[in-house]
Amino acid sequence: MEDKKLSPKESMDLIISMIQNTKQRVAAPDMRVSVMWAVLAIVTAISVWILISVTRNSLFSFLWFAIPVIGIPANLILASKTRSKNLVKTYLDRVSDGLWKSVGYIAIGLTIACFIAQQLGYPQAWMAMLYYAFIIVGFGAVASGILLRENSYIFGGMFSIFSGFAVIICNLCQIPLYYSWVVPLYVLCFLLMFIIPAFIISRKIKSAKR
Amino acid sequence: MKELDPLLHSQLRLAVMSILMNVDEADFVYLKEKTDATSGNLSVQIDKLSSAGYIAVEKGFVGKKTRTVCRITESGRMAFEKYVEALKEYLNL
Repeated sequence: MEDKKLSPKESMDLIISMIQNTKQRVAAPDMRVSVMWAVLAIVTAISVWILISVTRNSLFSFLWFAIPVIGIPANLILASKTRSKNLVKTYLDRVSDGLWKSVGYIAIGLTIACFIAQQLGYPQAWMAMLYYAFIIVGFGAVASGILLRENSYIFGGMFSIFSGFAVIICNLCQIPLYYSWVVPLYVLCFLLMFIIPAFIISRKIKSAKR
Repeated sequence: MKELDPLLHSQLRLAVMSILMNVDEADFVYLKEKTDATSGNLSVQIDKLSSAGYIAVEKGFVGKKTRTVCRITESGRMAFEKYVEALKEYLNL
């Protein structure tokens, strides 16, 4: 392309072709960060479940902290790699970044609140983190699905939100929350919210490239 | 009939502005790839758009490599919209 003058028709065609050209980028989101969090959440949940079931030692509950301890540095590393690789940032990227940052800040705030509650003698406050994982993360997945026009994200997020409310209802009705059904439900939610949509999107991208 | 903004009425500058209207920010390499322009020419046209206040240019580093990121300004957005309106009049759209 050069610095040449154009006719009005050529100008309009050029604008349209450039807009079409940049639109293609929207369909190729980077899902490594969300998949990393999902895998970490699933592996941690299964590890805690197995260790507590086998040893009956509730101290293994502290393993839940592996999620932020491993996840936050890994997120920072992946995000910096993505930033240096991405040559363009769209409105969609900005909204998606803002959305997941908000979900992250809520997690940090809630962790602090639960920690304070525990110090005040209410260790059951940590249950709030479970509701957070089901409902707030689920809402983030629904919003991502709407932004990316990917129904599998929306389905996964809705499933997680409903699961979260089911867990709340059980708690309110004093139905015991056993690891044997809560952890598999939690794992299923993360699979449906992130792993399966990532798989579907990457297949769509591959077939679009072909 | 409205006059076409001479700064935008050039192939490469218009291409750059069209891209930047559609994204939040774009790297120099991305603009070069999408416009198929030479680095020298693109750099000159970016400077012209930047001097007119139509785009903001941020130079930085990613690791050891330099990185130039461009984004459209509010006056650039308004100028582009005015330009498209004028084009529509010319083309009777």
